[in-house]
Amino acid sequence: MNDDFTGEAEELLDALSRDLVDFEAQGANVRPELINKIFRDTHSLKGLAAMVGQREISELAHALEDMLDRLRMGKIVIGKPLIDLLYDGIDGLNRLVAGTSADVATLTSRIANIASTETRQGSALDELILEEQTRKSLTEYEEHRLIENVRAGKQIYSVEQRFEFTDFDKKLRALTAKLTESGEVISTLPSADPGGGIGFRLLYGTALDEAKVAAIAPQAKITALRKQEAEISLKSASATVRVDIAKLDVVMHTIGELLIEKNQIEALARSLDGRQRNALATVARNLDRKLNELQKTAIELRMVPVGQIYTKISRNVRKLARELDKDIELVLRGEETELDKMLVEEISDPLMHIIRNALDHGIESQEQRKAAGKDPKGRVTVVAYQQGNSVVIDVSDDGRGIDPEAIRDAAMQRGLTAADPFELLFAPGFSTAAEVSEISGRGVGLDVVKKNIQELKGSIDVISTIGEGTTFRIMLPITLAIIQALIVRASGQQFAIPLTSVEESLRIQAREIVTVEAREVLALRDLTLPLVRLADAFSLGNHDEAPDKKLFVVVTRSGEKLAGIVVDAIIRQHEIVIKSIGERLKGTPGIAGATEVGKGDIVLVIDVTSLIEAFGGRAREVRASAHV
Amino acid sequence: MKVLVVEDSPSMRSYVTNIIETEDVEIVEAENGFEALKTLPHHKFDAILTDINMPDINGLELVSFLKNHPVYKTIPIMVISTESTEEDRNRAAALGVEEYLVKPFEAKELVTKLRKLLG
Repeated sequence: MNDDFTGEAEELLDALSRDLVDFEAQGANVRPELINKIFRDTHSLKGLAAMVGQREISELAHALEDMLDRLRMGKIVIGKPLIDLLYDGIDGLNRLVAGTSADVATLTSRIANIASTETRQGSALDELILEEQTRKSLTEYEEHRLIENVRAGKQIYSVEQRFEFTDFDKKLRALTAKLTESGEVISTLPSADPGGGIGFRLLYGTALDEAKVAAIAPQAKITALRKQEAEISLKSASATVRVDIAKLDVVMHTIGELLIEKNQIEALARSLDGRQRNALATVARNLDRKLNELQKTAIELRMVPVGQIYTKISRNVRKLARELDKDIELVLRGEETELDKMLVEEISDPLMHIIRNALDHGIESQEQRKAAGKDPKGRVTVVAYQQGNSVVIDVSDDGRGIDPEAIRDAAMQRGLTAADPFELLFAPGFSTAAEVSEISGRGVGLDVVKKNIQELKGSIDVISTIGEGTTFRIMLPITLAIIQALIVRASGQQFAIPLTSVEESLRIQAREIVTVEAREVLALRDLTLPLVRLADAFSLGNHDEAPDKKLFVVVTRSGEKLAGIVVDAIIRQHEIVIKSIGERLKGTPGIAGATEVGKGDIVLVIDVTSLIEAFGGRAREVRASAHV
Repeated sequence: MKVLVVEDSPSMRSYVTNIIETEDVEIVEAENGFEALKTLPHHKFDAILTDINMPDINGLELVSFLKNHPVYKTIPIMVISTESTEEDRNRAAALGVEEYLVKPFEAKELVTKLRKLLG
């Protein structure tokens, strides 16, 4: 063998052996320059061997070079089999250069194997849960697009849907077009599974979350294919941490306690004189400002987008629509609206109950809809949005609407009455559906839904037009932890009215209150405002009042209904932490709980919704019958 | 003998059909994967010839569907494609494609491979 060749080849092989040791040490995170150097040295060796007619050496070096080329393009996964093979390959070359024999055929076939069987561009694709069949059906270009999407931080979804055989091409193209508006349909795989029609699985790369994809393709089964998305997003946006909600509760609670302490300092300041008073008041003001910032941040920590429950909703709606044999289009909007994490979880079941009702009772059968000249496809819309300190969730359907007369008739048979027939929908044991269906059942009614929502300090209303549809409007406070309240006085007792329910406050004279149809009302601009006197509602004494006595009316809103709460004085606005009250007062209409104000004074917190319901518009003559 | 030709380019489709017409086979043409899927239940094919790069569903996806289908999986398939990369050949082979023909090709090559396909 040519000495020059041997010397140069040995040098190259020495370098290769050293680099390979580094390669093994660096593992999967090997520097690209190192792979490139190994590739170049192998390439040089191949050229050198070919030049001097060393066929076996050049053949083996060529095979290794091809493999290294694929490796530097990221097409081969770095692992033990690859490193072992590189060692064996270099060892083989060393033997050939030294003039001993090596099994070149076995080595080249092992190299060919690793190049074709090892996961191509594995590092990126390994982040996906991809079925073998799907993976094998990708063209090289599609695989490249898939990898690009993964690398760009996009989520990859499998979007599976079955179509009628007759028009699957039209429907599938429409779906693909819709998806393409906010992402890339990477692959379209027909499913060989038996069953009616024909199924397709699309691979879809997008920045949208699962709920949004579900909104685009409401009839499809959507699966996120990226593994451990939370971990990946933690890596890419390392400024986030996951926190146990219980710890946030502790923070909120502690802030609540601090606010009470601050209230006590303010109260203490008021009891002092002169300079001391001013000094303490300044401290209290500064403390107040800092606490407000802290409270605001702590509340934000608990906020999660309502969209978290949209995925569950769309899944359930698809399932229900199938069971009911109804064609339903589900529209979900406002998923970015933020709400206290606890509220989002608690509202999920009542919300689903209302949506179930909309599908089952609201939306007519396809035949009925056709007969009424409507689109046979029914539409259910869920919209969330913020309104002041509240979050509103509207569940609307374009179904038959609710007939107030039918409700009245049904209510009469059960001996129920109410001024507003829609109120009756929420009465215990009430149902207008002629038959109890599988879906809605009879066990849990809207009365339970209403109770659940009220427990969350929220309200529910119905807006319905016969033949056109129904909207259930849920209003929730943004958070339950700390609320702003108006401290008022009635018959010498203090009460707190949550500010979320307050529209405005009025100062009036007693004579402005008039009695219409045995109910006390107040003319407010173009409205007739029904009134509730706190003193009467809680039987705090029966004062005769002079017509010119000054009174205050706190105008409150509960859902769509306005009502006025009549009090003797409005003291101030205050942050309060609602605490549960003892068994004796639990369940008392009009009372949400208790709170501490100032120097350990306990005041009752008014539950506006149940107060108006229990005592709203009651005439003065019968006020004595209301007892705490 | 009945053969399905799936090819989105009309000129390539007629080139292929003109060649294999000489082989005394009945030819059904589909200009994309969707058409192929639609026509499959109406015939009993002895062989399928398909392109790879097509809109909607590509040839490999069609092959994957066929080779996993309880009824169609026995139909022999020839992929005719400009995809000359070893990569795509390997993929087609892994999916169970019987023959692979790279464009451009001679009439003779196509005929030889078709005869092999039809046994």
